[in-house]
Amino acid sequence: MTVDILGFAILIIFSILVVVLSMISRRLPIELRSMKAFDELRKAVERSVEAGERVHLSLGTGSLIGAESAPGLAGLALLGQVASATRMSDKPVVVTAGDGAMAILAQDSLRSAYQRAGEPRRYEATAGRVLGLTPFSYTVGLPPVLTTEQISAHLLLGSFGAEGALAAHFGDRQEAFVLGGTDDVPSQALLFATSKDQLIGEEIFATGAYLSVGPMYRASLHAQDLLRALIVLAVLAGSLWLTLGGGL
Amino acid sequence: MKFGSYLIWLTVAVGAGIIVLLGYFVDVQMILEARESLMHWAVILAATAVFMGLVNLMMVHWNRISTQSKDWIFSAILVVFMLEMLVLGLIFGPDHKLVLFFFTYVQLPVEISLMAILAVVLVVAGFQLIRRRRDLLSMAFMGSALVVLVGTLPWVIGSESEIVRMLGELRAWLTQVWAVAGARGILLGVALGAAATGLRVIMGVDRPYGD
Repeated sequence: MTVDILGFAILIIFSILVVVLSMISRRLPIELRSMKAFDELRKAVERSVEAGERVHLSLGTGSLIGAESAPGLAGLALLGQVASATRMSDKPVVVTAGDGAMAILAQDSLRSAYQRAGEPRRYEATAGRVLGLTPFSYTVGLPPVLTTEQISAHLLLGSFGAEGALAAHFGDRQEAFVLGGTDDVPSQALLFATSKDQLIGEEIFATGAYLSVGPMYRASLHAQDLLRALIVLAVLAGSLWLTLGGGL
Repeated sequence: MKFGSYLIWLTVAVGAGIIVLLGYFVDVQMILEARESLMHWAVILAATAVFMGLVNLMMVHWNRISTQSKDWIFSAILVVFMLEMLVLGLIFGPDHKLVLFFFTYVQLPVEISLMAILAVVLVVAGFQLIRRRRDLLSMAFMGSALVVLVGTLPWVIGSESEIVRMLGELRAWLTQVWAVAGARGILLGVALGAAATGLRVIMGVDRPYGD
């Protein structure tokens, strides 16, 4: 039996950090720095509810089975909060995805959010939908949703490639509030240019913590920060060691 | 959802997650085989989900047609072509020349056209970015994008001009030092964020499958 000790150790440390930090955070709450994108998101959702317009959440074109599922899951964490915030609106949130499994999860998350809010009758199966199964066929399906559903907040939180720029542009043409976040580095640059507000790097994974989904979300964000600081220190120490002539 | 059924989903999700995760770190035959089986099941379930997604897509557009919503004609075209491709695929198979004909002469040109539109959209977005946000970050973003674009133009390659040589060096410095360093930093954060998301699902904190 062989064990990848380093990888396994990092995973165990990460898990312990999350649990310990979630226990500590109840006694010693840590403030999160203000982030403009999340402040604007809250305002945009409130404006949509007041104006009787709809919020659209896109979970991207990534599949649920694969590395690209993580940003989609982060988008689902946001969905519960948005569904709860818009439950009293005439036009509840609509979610789209480029993957069947992701759309089913979106429907389940919506149903759960409405049940928790005591409004199970607000749920409609067509509020979580698949637009297309290839990246560009998904993107082509967006403009009809944006125009016919009177979308005023267009949130892109999921896995996107180059098509994410077009998806953001369609929202911008509609004069909707556009928030873009993805895990793909080149697509983040495209979203920076095309969306009003954007989540850079790991900020997409901080959505749950910033929207107060639960203490574990905050704890996992702090654990990420701590672990990243440790990795950066290790990289710097390694560089210094090699520069000074140390061997590997 | 009732309390009992919620516990079943939670146990299945957490159990499957732990086995698949362990398979990446521990080289034990039993765990590897269990992981393999679970991955096969996941692929089958994902294929079923694609079918469910298509049914959902059909329902949405059928509703639009039956209520004669704005631009319902596009929904009608989508439904007709979707059914046509489904029937052709079921009768002749996905590799038949008739199925490939529609793919090559309808789907492919549409997607390539969108790629072309994307290039125009990005140029427009670049100008809008400077108009909307005149801060240091936007200026640096546009400045470096312009240097990389100009430095990649065909006339730069093979030119002996001193200015062109300096432009090429500046482009290489930006892409190989600054862009790579930034991308590595972002990737490190993204990897930790993705790991944290996965851990929350395995711990049963994140329950995208509902309560």
